[in-house]
Amino acid sequence: MTDLSKIRNFSIIAHIDHGKSTLADRLLEACNAVESRQMEQQMLDSMDLERERGITIKATAATLKYQADDGEVYSLNLIDTPGHVDFNYEVSRSLAACEGAVLVVDASQGVEAQTLANTYLAIDAGLEVLPVINKIDLPAARPAEVKSEVEDIIGIPAQDAPEISAKNGINIHDVLEMIVRDVPAPTGDRSAPLQALIFDSQYDPYRGVIVYTRIKAGTVKAGMDIRMMATGAAYKVVEVGTMSPMGLIPADALGAGEVGYITASIKTVADTQVGDTVTTVENGATEPLPGYRPVQPMVFSGVYPADGAKYQDLREALEKLKLNDASMSYELESSIALGFGFRCGFLGLLHMEIIQERLEREYNLDLITTAPNVVYRVTKNTGEVIMVANPLDYPDPIEIQLAEEPFVKLNLIAPQEYVGNMMELAQQRRGEFKDMVYLDANRVELHYEMPLNEIIYDFFDALKSRTRGYGSLDYELIGYRPSRLVKLDILLNGDIVDALSFILFADNAYPRARKICEKLKENIPRAQFEIPVQAAIGGKIIARETIKALRKDVLAKCYGGDITRKKKLLEKQKEGKKRMRTFGTVAVPSEAFMAVLKLDED
Amino acid sequence: MPIFARKHKTPLGIYVHVPFCRSKCSYCDFYSLCDAKLQDEYLDAVCAHIREAGEAASLHIVDTIYFGGGTPSILGGEGLSLILSTIRKHFDVTSDAEITFEANPDSITDRLLRRLRSEGFNRVSLGIQTDNDELLSQLGRPHDYQQAVEAVRKIRRHGFKNLSVDLMYGLPGQTIQDWIHALANITKLDPEHISCYGLRIEPGTPLYKQASALTIPDDDLQADMYLSAISFLKDKGYRQYEISNFCKKGNTSRHNRKYWEMGEYLGFGPAAASDFGGQRFSVVKDLRRYIAGIQEQGQVLTGVENVSFRERAGEYLMLQLRTVSGIDPREYEKRYMLPFGPLEEKLEVFRSRGFAVKTYDGRWHLTGEGFLLSNDIISDLLAIQDECKPIAKRKSN
Repeated sequence: MTDLSKIRNFSIIAHIDHGKSTLADRLLEACNAVESRQMEQQMLDSMDLERERGITIKATAATLKYQADDGEVYSLNLIDTPGHVDFNYEVSRSLAACEGAVLVVDASQGVEAQTLANTYLAIDAGLEVLPVINKIDLPAARPAEVKSEVEDIIGIPAQDAPEISAKNGINIHDVLEMIVRDVPAPTGDRSAPLQALIFDSQYDPYRGVIVYTRIKAGTVKAGMDIRMMATGAAYKVVEVGTMSPMGLIPADALGAGEVGYITASIKTVADTQVGDTVTTVENGATEPLPGYRPVQPMVFSGVYPADGAKYQDLREALEKLKLNDASMSYELESSIALGFGFRCGFLGLLHMEIIQERLEREYNLDLITTAPNVVYRVTKNTGEVIMVANPLDYPDPIEIQLAEEPFVKLNLIAPQEYVGNMMELAQQRRGEFKDMVYLDANRVELHYEMPLNEIIYDFFDALKSRTRGYGSLDYELIGYRPSRLVKLDILLNGDIVDALSFILFADNAYPRARKICEKLKENIPRAQFEIPVQAAIGGKIIARETIKALRKDVLAKCYGGDITRKKKLLEKQKEGKKRMRTFGTVAVPSEAFMAVLKLDED
Repeated sequence: MPIFARKHKTPLGIYVHVPFCRSKCSYCDFYSLCDAKLQDEYLDAVCAHIREAGEAASLHIVDTIYFGGGTPSILGGEGLSLILSTIRKHFDVTSDAEITFEANPDSITDRLLRRLRSEGFNRVSLGIQTDNDELLSQLGRPHDYQQAVEAVRKIRRHGFKNLSVDLMYGLPGQTIQDWIHALANITKLDPEHISCYGLRIEPGTPLYKQASALTIPDDDLQADMYLSAISFLKDKGYRQYEISNFCKKGNTSRHNRKYWEMGEYLGFGPAAASDFGGQRFSVVKDLRRYIAGIQEQGQVLTGVENVSFRERAGEYLMLQLRTVSGIDPREYEKRYMLPFGPLEEKLEVFRSRGFAVKTYDGRWHLTGEGFLLSNDIISDLLAIQDECKPIAKRKSN
């Protein structure tokens, strides 16, 4: 076990794209944690998806051995956290495992919404926040101004913040020295009852779940009987150790102050929830560590295999993903239109996209996903209160006494010239303006209260396009509020396609219905008969388009008896038809579903 | 009698592809060259190819021969006669064989016709395309309409009693009235057979590049043109017998029918296709490689495929539904051991939409509207056929 005074536990926080993962890469390199030939970009982001999108989805950690200028060797535990608002709770637990946070701020962009949000999370967790000004090599860099911005807006000293370029490896040494000097060493009694904070876990087919943990008190070693205080699951520890980017390094024991892993032949990550406290079965801690909260999906969507026969494959894929991601939920649902599938719950839209992409990529599935929705709270006339996560479960309007939808507190930051655009957007999305704060001479923060439903579709994209990419956002749930909601049904050739139904705010129904009908018209191929596309609320048609009948689809000639081309063409057409879902009499390609999801793109 | 001897030989069609043109039409994506240099070598190669193949076809009797292209008439009477006589020498050819050559009006001369008539050619397929000179030049056709009229006159004068005319509709800027006008003019020329093809803008053709600047009739207008052609030609005594083909009674193209009725045929010359001995194959689409391949006795065939029984069942639907005689449920079940019921169920749906007709003797065929949607209809049927399990064979004692 490393002496407490030689340990530094820290994470790196930043707004997206400010260079968090790149700085992590440089720190690993500087401490020789990876050999340069094995160095890849975004070393800690092990998923291809993370590397491609330049985002961190899962928290990871690595122990770096650093010989400081004072001659001593320190154990630096870097905990890499996800950087997206969807994963705020996960971020907060990772931060709770640290004593300090390196705050990376882009020298040209300055403070952004997630810079603020993540910094507040770090301050709330009692962390020492150490600013670093990154990307000083850019022509637009303005390090001095950004430093004052950090001081003015966040209120932490920044004049001595290292000015670095993670990309070009400039002044990385300063960052390491700052960590050793300014991050407080952990404290904790290694002979006290065990209290280990789970900040992430990962399923490994050979070892079972690998629990990433920060020991807050006591000591854990192989052979101990342990218990998860929230879930109650009990196991015998197989191995403990520390993480390096190149793999796990077993150790005899982990003591208070240290960051490492525990394996105990645990079958599912559902037993090792983020934020839970690990203790010993005998002489265990009486109190869990504060801050645990069971994960709660916020956004739901129906996920169906494009090919109905692949239902079993989808089920298996979800089971496997769930092994590694306790924050996702799924339950069986069936749709008249799409057959068997699953209603899946996600932390947010990014989380949803990630899961869908992983299902398609890692499990080679073609999916049809239905429009995402939030969970509505409906009080029936009988007094019964139900939570509706699936539009199909939405009660008949006459049975409803009160309908409520979740609201969030939304913070938007952008240069002041875009204030008008942001306000317009927020108003369109039913935002209720709270106040506006000038962060500095140029940048403004707007506060709104807004239904979550308005954010989950495409709010982020709309904000980016209206602020030329400068706008940033952050939100947190503030509870349910009464709302006027309706369920919109879509009919093709007179039949309701249940998978296209969704719940929305009554005033938005007409424009949205019109747009959906238009989109479907564009994306459903002409058939042998005319197809009416209609949108209806409770049986009343509020929008209609017509897909004209197909008139001509013929190959006039099989010249000289060469029928191979015709054969191939018909074969392709036949296979295309097998992939299309038929609703009543209408064949709908999966692109049509996607088009309905991306309604507000133009 | 030896056990392998047959009472009747199997009928066979022969197709000869002549890959030369005087000039390339702007819409054409068939294989042809405008360079006449290789004509002699081509003739040698085709004749050698025919010689070689003749040995494999001793159990066949040739009842149709078709010279297509390109522009076969460009070879002149000598060239075409040489090929035909080579065929006669190495294949058994019936005395009443249908022997067709394709020609453009500008290559029709008395000399050519005299020679070909005396060699036994008895059918001419003339590419007239339209009656509008402006359109003809836009399409890159090397002739005007007056030349076409004169060509027909010459062809008749030399005693050809079976004339087919190719027409195109859906041409740039063409209206329904223009099209009916063209049909009226052509029927006045009184050919025995008319083929009508909708213009398709094929990638890689000069027309493809110009298409954006032209007003090409859309699918709906093309569909109307097609349907109006069916009824106009019917009034003039031309019966439709295939998607694109019309004729006076008894004048169907016997050669082309082999393609739709799954008869056997052998193709010679680059890019020519064959269906022979249970295999489909094509000749390489490259004249130089063809010539070299034949000279060196190397490989000139590509895409050789053994067509499975199951695939034949698909071809049956795909090809027979192009014809007005259509498909016969009993024949289908007997030949392919597949149930017709599931197909019939779908055909009933097509019938209710006006796309298919069931005749008094139980056959099914498509209507004009159905022909227009034949790809969509046939691919529906193929998808159903894929799901069908073979009918269990009855045990014979």
